[in-house]
Amino acid sequence: MKDSFWFPIVFMLINVVLFTGILAVMFRYSEEKIETYETSSYQQKILSTLSAKIGEVTQQSPEQIMAAYPGSFEKYVQKLEPKDFEREVYKAVVADTVVAYCFEIKGNGLWGSMRALVSTSTDFKTILDFAIVNQQETPGLGARIEEKWFLDQFQNRLFVVNPESKDDVTQSYEFIAETQTPATDRQLRRVTGATITSDSVIKMLRAEFNYIYDYVRSNEL
Amino acid sequence: MTKKEIFINATFKDNAIWRQILGICSALAVTNLMLNSLIMGLGVIFTLAMAGMTISLIRAWTPRSVRMMVQVLIIAAYVIIVDIFLKANMPVISKQLGPYVGLIITNCILMGRAEAFASQNKVMDSLVDGIGSGIGYTMVLLAISFIRELFGFGSIFGFRIMGDWWTAWSIMVMAPSAFFLLAMLIWIINTYYYKVKA
Repeated sequence: MKDSFWFPIVFMLINVVLFTGILAVMFRYSEEKIETYETSSYQQKILSTLSAKIGEVTQQSPEQIMAAYPGSFEKYVQKLEPKDFEREVYKAVVADTVVAYCFEIKGNGLWGSMRALVSTSTDFKTILDFAIVNQQETPGLGARIEEKWFLDQFQNRLFVVNPESKDDVTQSYEFIAETQTPATDRQLRRVTGATITSDSVIKMLRAEFNYIYDYVRSNEL
Repeated sequence: MTKKEIFINATFKDNAIWRQILGICSALAVTNLMLNSLIMGLGVIFTLAMAGMTISLIRAWTPRSVRMMVQVLIIAAYVIIVDIFLKANMPVISKQLGPYVGLIITNCILMGRAEAFASQNKVMDSLVDGIGSGIGYTMVLLAISFIRELFGFGSIFGFRIMGDWWTAWSIMVMAPSAFFLLAMLIWIINTYYYKVKA
């Protein structure tokens, strides 16, 4: 029977149906859990990038704001849907006053695309905080752009220095080794062994800030 | 062979990495952090054991002409199960491992053990062989990542071991260090373990 023409085909089909079925059931069972985690993780990242500014106004520490999630997210963060603006954008509102904005930005890394969240001051010139949402860089190398020391370099950084420029409104930066200490505010520490990924992050920020600034120059969010 | 002998053979004597030189790509790729190595190892142990057991279970009915397709299908299914499990229950680690979980499918140890052992041996023997091979693989990953993380980051499993005085060896974080550490490990084991035994 095993040597017949049809047996291998039928055998293979049975296996495919069986294993695909098992995977489909397992995925269905876990789907909600995965989605819930992804939504909550995304919202917490938005809140985290805005928490310092919200805390400044409400006299709370960022930790207190994060601990009050999801209530604090619902209370302070609002999603905006500006016309012809192709990025996700959120604003932090305290007592009917906008205190900061948070944008989802996109760019390309070494192995694939990456998504990040960047919160800005209300004049869109200063980066308040920066977080990576999704990246496909090498684990242990490029993926280290998610580490706190790397992300914290962008905190409270005046990023837009040429607001009138039509070509590039941003500051130019140079990367130094991870173990060095920046001598000027135009220097950033690069992840060791991940030159292209580190460069990609700054390239993404500059391109996205030019896009955002170009929009807000003539439109309201 | 007894189950104990199968286990010892798979783990030490015929270790997938230092004896059969299989699974080198992932051994080089994930070993700069011990946590990544451990999770990768656990994923491989699970996949090897379950795939070996399943392949052995259906070996009497598996036609020779499609056996490798069936083996790949079974291995891929178990890898996807690991991937879904990590995404649903250990999302942080799933994110850290990134593309490597999916790449377990391409780990030659899996096809190697499926073809060399599981397709010709009993179910429980294949399960033991899978667990043994996986543990042998994980041991090597952890040994290399111990040195790389300690010297490259000054930490073990993310916990800082070296003080602030420690200057991290950047080379240990990068891929070349895995090449020479793995080569040294294979050299030492072949010199002292196999030659002494011979």
